Amino acid sequence: MNTLKGIGFFFDPESIAIIGASPTSGKASHVILENLKRIGYKGSIYPVNPKYEHIDGMKCYASIADIGEQVDVAIFVLPASKVLDILKGPVENIRGVIIISSGFREVEKGKLLEEELKMIAEEKGIRIIGPNCLGIYDAIYGVDTFLVPTEHVKRPKKGGLSILTQSGSFAVLIMDEMATEGIGVARIVSYGNKVDVDEADCLDLLADDEDTRYVLLYIESVENGREFVDAASRCAAKKPVIAIKVGRGEAGMHAARSHTGAMGGKYEIYRAAFRKAGIIEVDGYEGLKDACRVLDAYDIVDGNKVLIITDGGGIGVSMADACEDFGLDVKRLSSSSKNNLSTRLPAFSAMDNPIDLTASAKDDDYFTALEEGFMNGYDLAIVTVLWGAPALTAGVVGRIYEVQTRYNKPVIICSPGGEFTRNMYRLFEEKGMPVFSTPEAAVRAAAVLTGRGTVRDNILKGAGPWI
Amino acid sequence: MDMKVVDNIINNVLNEGRHHLLETEAKALISQWDIPVPNSILIKGTEYQEIGMDRIKPPFVLKVVSKDILHKTEVGGVISDLRDRDDVRNAVIRMRRDLEENVPQARIEGFLLEEFVSRGVEVIIGGMRDPQFGPVIMFGTGGVMVELMKDVSFRLAPLDQRESMAMMEELRGYPLLTGYRGSKSVDRELLASIIMKVSDIITKIEEIREIEINPLFVYEDGVMAVDTRVILELEER
Repeated sequence: MNTLKGIGFFFDPESIAIIGASPTSGKASHVILENLKRIGYKGSIYPVNPKYEHIDGMKCYASIADIGEQVDVAIFVLPASKVLDILKGPVENIRGVIIISSGFREVEKGKLLEEELKMIAEEKGIRIIGPNCLGIYDAIYGVDTFLVPTEHVKRPKKGGLSILTQSGSFAVLIMDEMATEGIGVARIVSYGNKVDVDEADCLDLLADDEDTRYVLLYIESVENGREFVDAASRCAAKKPVIAIKVGRGEAGMHAARSHTGAMGGKYEIYRAAFRKAGIIEVDGYEGLKDACRVLDAYDIVDGNKVLIITDGGGIGVSMADACEDFGLDVKRLSSSSKNNLSTRLPAFSAMDNPIDLTASAKDDDYFTALEEGFMNGYDLAIVTVLWGAPALTAGVVGRIYEVQTRYNKPVIICSPGGEFTRNMYRLFEEKGMPVFSTPEAAVRAAAVLTGRGTVRDNILKGAGPWI
Repeated sequence: MDMKVVDNIINNVLNEGRHHLLETEAKALISQWDIPVPNSILIKGTEYQEIGMDRIKPPFVLKVVSKDILHKTEVGGVISDLRDRDDVRNAVIRMRRDLEENVPQARIEGFLLEEFVSRGVEVIIGGMRDPQFGPVIMFGTGGVMVELMKDVSFRLAPLDQRESMAMMEELRGYPLLTGYRGSKSVDRELLASIIMKVSDIITKIEEIREIEINPLFVYEDGVMAVDTRVILELEER
């Protein structure tokens, strides 16, 4: 039995029925069947379809009642009206359903069907994920209801990220990206129209989920706003929660009579809700990918004093500018640190913050500068490595890593450049240090960490998660 | 605050089938939370011949009180810089005449005679009830800044001191509050407490759909709610 509460059985079901199962390769229901086998799902699988006696060598059942056993999760890949017909019949042995099928609220004639679906589920005490969704990918317990073939969309390895999303297509592409980036995933839930299970249910679950280290939310709209804020607050009190809000143009209060009503579009209210819950909002697709990469690498940062080290002056300056914009503290070097460094760094280095090692930079200079900073109050560092410096070798990666692990403070690598530079990314990533190809991306990632630091500090002070 | 007084105000408005509180009602409401409003007296129908002006000090501003008039200035419903009883009497007569001409159908409850308040840093504090997220608070630097620059910040109510301070700090107009070009810094902790009071009002009184103090003047050592609007939920109860 797993340690997940409430809707936890969806993620670790002892049995799964596929309603509308098909033996035809390439059909959605068959893809799901194959994916469940491939991920090594350990429970019983019951294909259900009156047309077949066997599917892929498994006994196929004429109906849900025919299974004769408790079914934890029934997956529906049938037309909307058919789903309802079946759920109206004998389904006492079902605990939860995932309705992949579309044709509900998202289309005009499906609105009534969805209302009816909601009523039936409440009456019969069945929990529902969907409709119009992909369901669950659980790398920890081995469940995969996504109907996309693995040849087209890779599955991520096991890890600490859990993703909650309304959009199925977002679930698919982020899963593929995470797999390619090498970022591990615990659970992905695509809940579509959320007729029953919504983001608040999932956040409650993930708050206490030991396998989930951090959470990514993809939000189009939230219906139960206060429940969402409460659940997200509980979750953010324990682990980083980041969110991207799409559809920002939505109008605010209808027919507002005051400035207050007229000034606030709906997006401003979502932002206020994120702040209240201690959710860190990320901007755009790049922003959320970068946030995942940095949260995958580092847990904690103690403050927002950032040390910038570079071997190119120009990029150091633009980075310092970006830090200001994101509210990071580019604290000046103390005079004792300047003294310490002046005897040990290349003659023309700029001993301030940023520390500019210039193109004379050697591997050891990075070590020296970074250690001086971490010994003297800096909470994190953004280290720019431009490979134009002739004396630099691959050994610089190890030297930076030594300081990073010794002081256990986040080091974010910024390394813009072409082919040679990009080939070197792997070396940093193997040491668990995320690399960014632009100063803006590096700073934005640093701001995710410090934003999380603020949330955690607020919680420790007993002042709520809000930022 | 005395919730009985508050309930009476709200129920009276609803019983009359209105959704907008009169300025006098809105100010009476926020006064229950000790938000400072200008000293004033209400001059009813024919009383203007014998105005008891002992409780307030000149100069005065005269404003029409009418459930039918939302934008007072446009119809001649605000006259300022009144020094004495004669000024006030003449102003009442002139305002009656102008209103009769501009908005003949408007029902006049009376005239609000307020002490003129000296200009402070202008801010706006608002609250509204969002269907999904419930009460939301807005804070902005007032006047042109709010209309032109949309220099406002939002938080979900209820909010605490730290959130209220953060709402100010994130505005581009924040230097107006901390002292700018020789002007003195305003009492930001007091201002934060007013933001929290507005948050408390909209959180406690579920009938309120929108509330707005605009402008609130903020000084080195005080605040003053110059105008206040309260709009109740439009659904029938």
